[in-house]
Amino acid sequence: MFGKKSRKQPKDPLVRKLMDIVGENEVLYLKEDLVAYECDGFTMSKGMPRAVAFVHNAEEVSQIVKLLNREKVPYIARGAGTGLSGGATPLGGEVIISMVRMKRLLHVDLENRKAVVEPGFVNLKLTQSISDRGYYYAPDPSSQYACTIGGNVAENAGGAHCLKYGVTTNHILGLEVVLPNGEIVEIGEEGIPDRPGYDLIGLLTGSEGTLGIITKITCKVLKNPQGKKTVLAYFDEINDASQAVSDIISAGIIPAALEMMDQTAIHGVESGAHPVGHPRDIAAFLLIEVDGIEAGIDDQMNEIVEVCKKNHVREVKVAQSEAERELWWANRKTGFSAMGAISPDYLVQDGVIPRTRLPEVLTKIGEISKKYNLRIANIFHAGDGNLHPLVLYDARVPGEAERAAKAGSECLKVCADAGGSITGEHGVGIEKKEEMRFIFTDEEIEAQTNIRAVFNPEDLLNPGKLFPEPGRCVEVKRAKAQ
Amino acid sequence: MMSVDEKKMSAQTEQGMPATLGNFKWNDLPDENKWADCVHCGMCLEACPTYQETGEEHQSPRGRVYLIKAVAEGKIDVNEAFSKPIFDGLDCRACETACPASVQVGGLIEEARGQIRQAMPLKGISGAVSKTVLKGFFPHPSRMHKLGGLMKLYQKSGIQKLARKTGLLNILPTHLKDMEAILPEVGKPVLGRYPEVVPAEGERKGRVALLTGCVMDVMFSDVNEATIRVLTHNGYDVHLPKNQRCCGALHIHAGDRETGKALAKQNIEAFKEFDKVLVNAAGCGAALQEYDELFRNDPEMLPLAKAFSEKVEDISKFLYENGFKRPKVEVKTRITYHDACHLAHAQGVRFEPRQLLKEIPGVELVELPDADRCCGSAGIYNLTHPDMAGRLLERKIDDIPENVEMITMGNPGCMLQIAMGVKKYGRSEKVVHTVQLLDWAYEKEKKEAENLVNT
Repeated sequence: MFGKKSRKQPKDPLVRKLMDIVGENEVLYLKEDLVAYECDGFTMSKGMPRAVAFVHNAEEVSQIVKLLNREKVPYIARGAGTGLSGGATPLGGEVIISMVRMKRLLHVDLENRKAVVEPGFVNLKLTQSISDRGYYYAPDPSSQYACTIGGNVAENAGGAHCLKYGVTTNHILGLEVVLPNGEIVEIGEEGIPDRPGYDLIGLLTGSEGTLGIITKITCKVLKNPQGKKTVLAYFDEINDASQAVSDIISAGIIPAALEMMDQTAIHGVESGAHPVGHPRDIAAFLLIEVDGIEAGIDDQMNEIVEVCKKNHVREVKVAQSEAERELWWANRKTGFSAMGAISPDYLVQDGVIPRTRLPEVLTKIGEISKKYNLRIANIFHAGDGNLHPLVLYDARVPGEAERAAKAGSECLKVCADAGGSITGEHGVGIEKKEEMRFIFTDEEIEAQTNIRAVFNPEDLLNPGKLFPEPGRCVEVKRAKAQ
Repeated sequence: MMSVDEKKMSAQTEQGMPATLGNFKWNDLPDENKWADCVHCGMCLEACPTYQETGEEHQSPRGRVYLIKAVAEGKIDVNEAFSKPIFDGLDCRACETACPASVQVGGLIEEARGQIRQAMPLKGISGAVSKTVLKGFFPHPSRMHKLGGLMKLYQKSGIQKLARKTGLLNILPTHLKDMEAILPEVGKPVLGRYPEVVPAEGERKGRVALLTGCVMDVMFSDVNEATIRVLTHNGYDVHLPKNQRCCGALHIHAGDRETGKALAKQNIEAFKEFDKVLVNAAGCGAALQEYDELFRNDPEMLPLAKAFSEKVEDISKFLYENGFKRPKVEVKTRITYHDACHLAHAQGVRFEPRQLLKEIPGVELVELPDADRCCGSAGIYNLTHPDMAGRLLERKIDDIPENVEMITMGNPGCMLQIAMGVKKYGRSEKVVHTVQLLDWAYEKEKKEAENLVNT
């Protein structure tokens, strides 16, 4: 807080106790301040937190967790709040533990290719801090300008370059975690990967803030590839673009990134802040990047261009400069947000499908769009079959949000039925918990909530996320039976 | 003073506009479409200096937009707690550069401030200060000039020396003391002293009008003199319409949109016969270019304001785009360039001033890291929020590269603020306006040409 100090004293005794732990200026409790924490990047679900406490170290987190356990008050850890599934959104009454003031880069060890950061450290800043020495941090979610690495770990965030390099979990060497009982533990000390025993880092990464609060992260950093080439391929038929994706992968090429955008999405990004000048009449474009040792890159690129030509591409162009490449990526990475320029609201879905099923799934998504009379834009990581249908709607029109939610859910059903999954990188959060049933049986869900209960027995840490409600009924029934 | 109910009535009388919007109940309602563009993605967070410093969601652009929307939805009231984050914003517009959907966060915040000031008129000391400074001085050029005269008296008469020596200044809060220490030596304002038209030198390329500004003309009349010399040297008649007024930016930032509109009307009138209105103060330039936003709810003024706003251009952009005369002599110096927020973020002018500077022979431009992050000046922000302004100033000074002799920029507020930082942190760089450097080059050229003739 800054500027003039508020004269009002907090009435809530819990707020005063939080202040005793973190300091008077480190707790928000006024309704007008809290309303900004009603939701994260997923705006369909909202809830008022009871308070927001800013923490500075693991010890403070531990004390707060112990306090809230005693008081039986639920709590949520929150980073930048850019998540797209409501993982950091309160259902109502939770204390938000904000990690954003723990934002130091603690240690860089390039010889061992690792860096230690606090959870509030912003994703892109890690690459920016080491790029002059020729290194980078690979996971690159589109929100990387603002999202925190702590949040990335909680959600197991992906990104455009995960096709070749893997998602967040493939880049985490160690974690310091405050468990829901207040204990501070280190997993994967010294950053040595693959220690014997259970893969706890793997379990924690992507647990959506339900198993513990991460307070320190050891990340893997990579050497910049020697060479890089980026092309844009414009298609008149969406099926041709989809087929090209499939053919590129089956030809044995693994591009660093293989992205696709359809016509509605192209209209969005061209109306946004980083227009490239894509033709408005194409059905789709592919943005393809190959990287690695200089020697083989041109061959790979030629092969890709051949595949595109075979699939009736209208035009293929290679980025002529780093500036052009950056513009293409800015256009892509700000794609979701740019939809604001053509629609007041959007709901982004995150289905995964086998690549070979792309054409038929896209056709079905087109049918869903017609059925609900809502535009659906498609921006996605085509290479790994990770679709992002963006259902465009206007929340001010009565009933439209509900229709959008239904359309989104149906898109996920199509993905699940095609042998895929309901989320590739955005997490389940509040948004997709019911859709978990598309891919898991009640027993499978229960097996997972049993694991959660080992860490988080009272379900005070981020309750109501990740699993559907009746999964909890099963637990309640069982608890009663015991 | 009107009562709240009377104000509601006056809101209703506005042509074709809804009377209220949720808990926004006063005249000149905020623009719903501005927040409809925001999809809450958070791409603006790390661009925002107050979010960078606090990490607080309601102190971020997305958070502020959300709060404004929450008032319109009737979730929260227009009160002290809402007002705080809305007035804690710098209005630096860095979020607008970052926003993928081009949400006009700055304009929206100014509109919300307009609601707050009508709902909760300033009382006490801040009310008095606002009344005397913003209403009593800025709208009246003669009073501004007298203030300048008083300052000159303070500096020249020895009172300044005495005050500094005796420790009399210690009664001032630190940030005001720091500010006093760097007050530039006040010259005489250009407006009124110069003729209304300063003719072009040599071949005449056209005519332009110049907004002389308030702070610029009182504190930095030398920059205005340099601007006029540079323009006439480039072949332009420079018109200085006498009836021009303060641009109103400070009033609009402070939520006093009525005074802002009154000033805007006078300026639209004062410059009506000109096709090009040039500005050398980024804050003023941005305000003039947004007069159409100001009159958004006034169908009568809107077309006039639109036409006016389109005529306004920053001096650096105008010179660059109109093929300014490349100086022929060397000015050997290493400099850096600071992007004034209202030039880079509000007007999108980044390339042209850098290019002007680079094309002066002998000038070596070293890029300033994070050059477009606010220095903390932000209009009168450094007076109303000294703590945050001080934190941002410290970061700015920390970023200034070693071994540069000058820091150039295009806004008087930044010039004062950064000069203060240079002094406070024991640095030695000279703070100059972009056109001043160009002016020096031209003057040096002229002198050398004269010497050549004389020898």
